[in-house]
Amino acid sequence: MRSFHAVLRRLLHAVLLGLVGAGIVHIIVLLLVPEFSERDAWSRLSMASDLYKMTRLDAEAGGAPVVKSVDPLFYATACRFDLGEGMVRIKAPGHVPFWSVSVYDRNGHNIYSFNDHTATGGVLDAVVLTPAQMIDVRKDLPEDLQGAIFVEAPIEEGIFVIRAFVPDDSWKPIVSRFFEQSSCELQDF
Amino acid sequence: MILPGEPGQIWGKSIGPLATRPRAAISPGGNFSCPWPFMLKNALLTLLSLAIAIGGGGGSVWYALKIQDGVGAIRIGQWTAFPDIGTPSADPYSKARVAREGVLALGRAEGLTFVAERDASGGELKRECTYRIEGGFPTARFWTLYAADQSLGVVETGKPRLAALQSYGVLRQSDNSVIISASHHPMPGNWLLTDGFGRMYFVLTFYDTPIASSTGLSDVSLPRIVKVGCDA
Repeated sequence: MRSFHAVLRRLLHAVLLGLVGAGIVHIIVLLLVPEFSERDAWSRLSMASDLYKMTRLDAEAGGAPVVKSVDPLFYATACRFDLGEGMVRIKAPGHVPFWSVSVYDRNGHNIYSFNDHTATGGVLDAVVLTPAQMIDVRKDLPEDLQGAIFVEAPIEEGIFVIRAFVPDDSWKPIVSRFFEQSSCELQDF
Repeated sequence: MILPGEPGQIWGKSIGPLATRPRAAISPGGNFSCPWPFMLKNALLTLLSLAIAIGGGGGSVWYALKIQDGVGAIRIGQWTAFPDIGTPSADPYSKARVAREGVLALGRAEGLTFVAERDASGGELKRECTYRIEGGFPTARFWTLYAADQSLGVVETGKPRLAALQSYGVLRQSDNSVIISASHHPMPGNWLLTDGFGRMYFVLTFYDTPIASSTGLSDVSLPRIVKVGCDA
């Protein structure tokens, strides 16, 4: 009888120890998920295309959407960049009813966003660069960067996303052309 | 002078219980074959602890990320929004969910999304039912409304008409409020086409809106969702 109690006590001890351990494992796993996830936006995009390549996120371009949860009345396109190689310039000529832009870091956190009301004349022309590169650019601003929006981001790898509103079917070709003409390239300086 | 003395005392004390404990443990049983099953039992208990720790810890994270509701939510009527999701200041659960599902959340300058999963009487939204969405909408350049399935993708209607509406294309009442009928059957006025069976969500997104800043959310009212009826 006494040994039965002893076993029960040891069992209870082991279960309690396990529960405390479960709490610790819960916190560790939760904090490690963003580090090791292979299903985050960056990994999905890198499977679909290369750095500095505009990739359509909506299903309209054929195939399943690369990144989920996009408004059905919106088209979206994204490109990945690495500021370690230099600053990146994104341009999209043409006018659409509404466009907005977000810059995400490697983990998919939105660190900066703006829309067509911010841009000069409603034309999308933006440069993403690190604070150090910004200091260099400020010293001698090239002529063709005068009208650009400068996004200072303290990151290396990141994702640039353009979203554009498609009010109805008649706007589809116009918005598609807006995206086809958009570019995402390494800017020499 | 004092320092060498104290360790000696502690050493002396600790020797005592160590030396007596094994003798006390072995003498009642009276045999020395005890250690083997004893060790096996210890190993089993250790395994049990580890299994609970790893299984319980991993499973609880998986469950916490699976459920829709979560920390950081803002509720207005039947509508829920996560203004912080996808920002560096989000909580660890939102961050893990963003990483696991590959979400690229809307930024503050882009817009704010609200999701409804229940009607005004508290019942879950069903794709086979007809709902009336009525009321005023907060200030925004425009908004879009669509019917969504479990994964928050737009409901497949099987027709050229999308299960989505936007504010430039709706009829308004004289007081600027909007009445929308969401149904599988054609409806007069603003008709949001839905189709199929099972759970449904309404996703309402405001673009270029002052309510996306945290201070703007305090006195916002959103339209009510009223159930009209269901297909038998």
